[in-house]
Amino acid sequence: MSLAPHHQPDYYSALPAASKLLGFKLLRLDPQTYEVDAEFMAHEDFLNPGGTVQGGFVTAMLDDVMSMAGVISQPDPGWVPTLQMSVSFLRPMRAGPVLAYGRVKRAGRTTVHTYGWVTDQAGSRLAEATAACVPRPIPQS
Amino acid sequence: MSETDDDTPARLSDADMLARFRNSKKRPPCSDTLGMELLSVNQDEQSLRMGFDVSASFANPTGAIQGGFITAMLDEAMSTCVIIASNVTMTAPTLELKTSYLRPLFPGRAEVEAKIIRMGKTTAFMEAACYDPEGRMVAKASATAAPKPFKRIKS
Repeated sequence: MSLAPHHQPDYYSALPAASKLLGFKLLRLDPQTYEVDAEFMAHEDFLNPGGTVQGGFVTAMLDDVMSMAGVISQPDPGWVPTLQMSVSFLRPMRAGPVLAYGRVKRAGRTTVHTYGWVTDQAGSRLAEATAACVPRPIPQS
Repeated sequence: MSETDDDTPARLSDADMLARFRNSKKRPPCSDTLGMELLSVNQDEQSLRMGFDVSASFANPTGAIQGGFITAMLDEAMSTCVIIASNVTMTAPTLELKTSYLRPLFPGRAEVEAKIIRMGKTTAFMEAACYDPEGRMVAKASATAAPKPFKRIKS
């Protein structure tokens, strides 16, 4: 069985700017279960006055993997813009590599509900999130 | 004026508070990364306004800013609200944050308005909205934080 292009890791090798900035590295992509595991690099540039990663950058990592899980949940390649996202910050994130997991709660044609979490290298959960997204076809230019 | 050692530091005027932030030599790295500029402070209303130079390095494949970076701007403004409301004696780690993304934002300029809904000794509730250069609201957020005393590293 041949996989759709957006179900293959190669489809994601040309990284968008935001993913590049976050040091995104794809670890695993499962086109059957819509699971995405990735590594990110929490850069010193993301630190708040407390010396931990500012919550928005943690949100950006979660948005990256959760949106990607949303993209692979669709039969055709497209975009899955986030309408709303809720993040719980459980523990402070320090600078360094972290692991992020994007999952799909329910994939419909008009709405996709995603969730995800991010851990430190030891597996301790730092933040978790849920989001609602809407699949959109890629506009033909 | 002493920094933060007094139990009851004198309250600064809005203009002095704004100047204190704008002239700070110890800006956190995240503020520089986001191209943040504090534009105005209203301590009576517990609100503020920030401008951002939104970098193209925050864009997703559509060319619009990835949602997390919009949240980073909103978080920056809401956290600074708490810091200012505490007269720069407390920091405000965010516990929970929800963002609604109303429209795409593109690299360039953005402004965020943030305010405190309620601030207690151990909890703070905040709201913020992000606007594009045409003044259209692109995102709205609400957050809960747990203020903690600032551990200022004396140099």
